[in-house]
Amino acid sequence: MADTINQATRKGFLVDTSRCIGCRSCQVACKQWNKLPADKTSNKGTFENPRDLTSALFNRIKFIENETSGAVSWLFLNERCMQCGDAGCMKVCPSPGALYRTRDGIVAYNKEKCISCKYCVSACPFNIPRYDTNDKVSKCNLCQSRIEGGIAPACAKACPTGSLKFGKRSELIAKATAAKKALYGENNLNGLGVVYALEGSPEKYGLPSSPSIPMSIFLWKDVIKPLGILGFWGSIGAMLLHYVTIGPKKVDDEETGKGDGHE
Amino acid sequence: MSSKYIERFSTSERVLHWIVTASFFTLLLSGLGLYSRLFNGYFNLFGGGQNAILVHKIGGIIFFLSSIYMYFNHQKDVSTFDQDDKEWVDKRGGYLSREASHFNIGKYNPGQKLFALYVAAATTILGVTGIFIWLPALFPRWIVQISLLTHGLMFVGSIMFVIVHVYLATIGNPGTIDAMLYGDVKRGWAKKHHPKWYKETTGENT
Repeated sequence: MADTINQATRKGFLVDTSRCIGCRSCQVACKQWNKLPADKTSNKGTFENPRDLTSALFNRIKFIENETSGAVSWLFLNERCMQCGDAGCMKVCPSPGALYRTRDGIVAYNKEKCISCKYCVSACPFNIPRYDTNDKVSKCNLCQSRIEGGIAPACAKACPTGSLKFGKRSELIAKATAAKKALYGENNLNGLGVVYALEGSPEKYGLPSSPSIPMSIFLWKDVIKPLGILGFWGSIGAMLLHYVTIGPKKVDDEETGKGDGHE
Repeated sequence: MSSKYIERFSTSERVLHWIVTASFFTLLLSGLGLYSRLFNGYFNLFGGGQNAILVHKIGGIIFFLSSIYMYFNHQKDVSTFDQDDKEWVDKRGGYLSREASHFNIGKYNPGQKLFALYVAAATTILGVTGIFIWLPALFPRWIVQISLLTHGLMFVGSIMFVIVHVYLATIGNPGTIDAMLYGDVKRGWAKKHHPKWYKETTGENT
């Protein structure tokens, strides 16, 4: 079940944060297309709303407030599943077909095959998967049905400034590189499906500067798992080898007989 | 006194061991599909992955309680090592040679003691990490991540130890399995493998 991805035909987003005006059309369009209910939210003295992704909120605009000499400025970040080329969630998912790679390179999911183990939550470098009220995984799948039908995801369609651009990933990257944009996610994790042109360091946006699958997850799946299987068969082999080379410790009849009286 | 057999494990000790055994193999079968997608077929034994997880949780509780209880039942016997044990360890219990070997061993040899101590430690660690994996939303992310890794590691150690345990208790040492099945072992077996225990139990010299 190796996760293979065709970099040449892969589709994705280029998110140009300099064009984002924080209007949240993407949030609304996503809710509408995916028929997601509204989440209860609360006023915490910021324009950011809601404050976190939920099982009914697949993308949102993160408002990063910066105060410099009394004036407030914002950075906006469209937060969503990054569609990693090497996806931690897919690496750990024990249920084949619950999380899977589409021909467009998207990490899609099938709730009916989700077994509610929540391993994907632990393996995601970006803290994206959420579990719904039925205890099934939910996240952005780039409007899988729309892109398979040849149209852009709802959020990209709704974006009024062209901050969210959908298309062939390689072409989007080539264009952004030609425009001398500093890109985030071009090569990390075998390339993110959602590549950002940021106005500053990734840390300013709360993104890991070099995202990777957590070390513990790597050790678990790529070291302990294969070594464990080897250890299992090795132990069985060692016992068989012991039996035919050194052999069992038999109790001699002589010893058994000694001291025996009645039954 | 003069029977051919002497009692090694009481009925309650044997029943407890069988509960531990049954829950261990239930955990093994229900957990294999979670260990790797290679073993996805084992989920079918339980009617799907979600049911396997449920069985794994219930089996985990039974295994944890019975295994810990079993350890405390035998704690006195398995957690102390004496000079005779040292000799056994130095000569690897005679298991690496065809030569007949004799060690003045009590109820358990150092290998068995080590196994018991490992199982007690593994039970505790598997139980605690199992809770973190069970309820990942209630604990910090890094604790759950470390737990997934540790749970797998302790399982691997456990299954390897269990293979050795089963081998030594069956074909490796003929006569040993009687202790688990009926509780009584042949006197000759006891004199050969656990002479000090035989002497303490019967008062006879070996």
